[in-house]
Amino acid sequence: MTAALEIRDLRKRYADVQALDGVSLTVPEGSFFGLLGPNGAGKTTFINILVGLVRKSGGEARVFGYDVEDDYQEARDRIGLAPQEFNVDRFFPIKEVLEHKAGYHGIPADEARERADEVLKQVGIYDKRDTRFDWLSGGMKRRFMLARALITDPDLLILDEPTAGVDVQLRRDLWDLIIDLNEAGTTILLTTHYIEEAERLCDEVAILDSGNVVTVASPEELIDRGADRIVVQLQDAPAGTPDLPFEDDRVDAVELDGNRLVVTARRGGLVAPDLVRALDRAGHGIVDLEISRTSLEEVFVELTRTEDGAAVDEPAPALAANGEGGRR
Amino acid sequence: MSVASKLLPVGFYTLAKREILRYVRRPKNTFVPPLITNVLYFSVFGVVLGTRVGEIAGVPYILFILPGLVVLGAISNAFENASFSIFHGRWNEYIHETLTSPLSYAQMVWAYVASSAIRGIAVGVLISVIGAIFTTVGVERPFYLVAFMLVITVLFAGLGVLGGLWAEDFDDLTMMNQFILRPLVFFGGVFYSLDDLNSELFYTVSLFNPMIYMVNGVRYGFIGTAEVDPNASLVVLTVLAAAVAALDVALFRRGYGLTE
Repeated sequence: MTAALEIRDLRKRYADVQALDGVSLTVPEGSFFGLLGPNGAGKTTFINILVGLVRKSGGEARVFGYDVEDDYQEARDRIGLAPQEFNVDRFFPIKEVLEHKAGYHGIPADEARERADEVLKQVGIYDKRDTRFDWLSGGMKRRFMLARALITDPDLLILDEPTAGVDVQLRRDLWDLIIDLNEAGTTILLTTHYIEEAERLCDEVAILDSGNVVTVASPEELIDRGADRIVVQLQDAPAGTPDLPFEDDRVDAVELDGNRLVVTARRGGLVAPDLVRALDRAGHGIVDLEISRTSLEEVFVELTRTEDGAAVDEPAPALAANGEGGRR
Repeated sequence: MSVASKLLPVGFYTLAKREILRYVRRPKNTFVPPLITNVLYFSVFGVVLGTRVGEIAGVPYILFILPGLVVLGAISNAFENASFSIFHGRWNEYIHETLTSPLSYAQMVWAYVASSAIRGIAVGVLISVIGAIFTTVGVERPFYLVAFMLVITVLFAGLGVLGGLWAEDFDDLTMMNQFILRPLVFFGGVFYSLDDLNSELFYTVSLFNPMIYMVNGVRYGFIGTAEVDPNASLVVLTVLAAAVAALDVALFRRGYGLTE
């Protein structure tokens, strides 16, 4: 199967700034792929190279096997882009803007009209079809950006911060919509500042920092890489740190503070039973045990931390739309 | 469905149609200003002053200036349309809708050029109709009139694309029109004959002004007389228009003014 995106050693230099410094990654067809990174990491440059708004300085980028420069027409025909910025034609009502976009992709006028109606209904702003973009509310504008990306029925849907600045309900609506699209076979490339959004939606995420891919993994794998904290409340304070016989490298640190024992370990859920057994054998009574799993947000901050120890840019706080189960 | 929509590639047709609709739906900004301006030109230069000037090149002054006014209106509008549309699209970034589409660079350029040239021709026809109200207008050489109008509007639409790509600010657009285009036209033999230039130097310098050849070509189409060989002018202008269009396509391909 041809990959939706095949990127090899992609480079982009703006004067004295190296925006992309040898990015390589593969996005499988049909996947939901997240691109995370702090501001200035190169996410938008990466996307703009794919759609022809930025020329690469080196390397190779292919969309469904088509080179983004040599075969730009074929590559662009397969992409639907919903950028973060509102770059919409203000001269025409939104339905006509959609018809034009469809026409540029070779869709005949009659079919374009039908599709425009369809996608406007899909994103819930059909009633506003004769309104110009400037007169839409913020949420409607965001919906329209998605409608414009969908009008050409793309194989690869690129969403650059699609839920930035929208309310909880709309965010959920947009999530549902793009989940449906992905389940229908559309490959999704999502950039987001909302870590929870990536955690909930994406099959795989690439973390980009200073123009480099730091890692590519599923959200679960990334979370597993982080250290969990197991806090054990002991009945009596031991004289010293208990000697815990863990032979593998899962445990990073053991700290004792009175009768409170804090164990930092990878895959804390698997370590906890062994820890309880070891403490029991050593004669320590346990009052309480709590495991705090690392979050993707913490892993993100750790991976994008600069040499002086500070994270380059904090991700947005977790979304308000908590409380729902994961996507898959 | 129109014939054009059946014959032309859908993408090209859609972009050209979008560009045409943009100015057709705003006549107050596009067609009314040249209408009023040219009524004033014909009234003041043609009627009031024209009766004192008498004849030039064997025709009444009002008829003599008509082709020049047609050229002035046609090329200004072709240029303004292309430069404004490209620049405004860049300024508000909605040109990205076109740039991220699978249209070829040549299709993009020709859609902008064709729609702008059509606006130039429409304004040219409008000015001719206004002129016909003031004087009797004939078309002595229809082939040359059509050919020159096509070539000069395409040329200036192509130059408008260059201007739209180059401009960094709306002031740059105004500057190009007011400080470059308009002086060239006014010194391009719109209101006077080259034979009326008393100085040999002025005459020679005028021959370096491309407007001379355009105005003379269109005048040849209307009244059948020209001060410069119309065939040579047509060939040179056609080559120039093709070169400018090729440059436009190359700049689009390179992303000049469009990307990054």
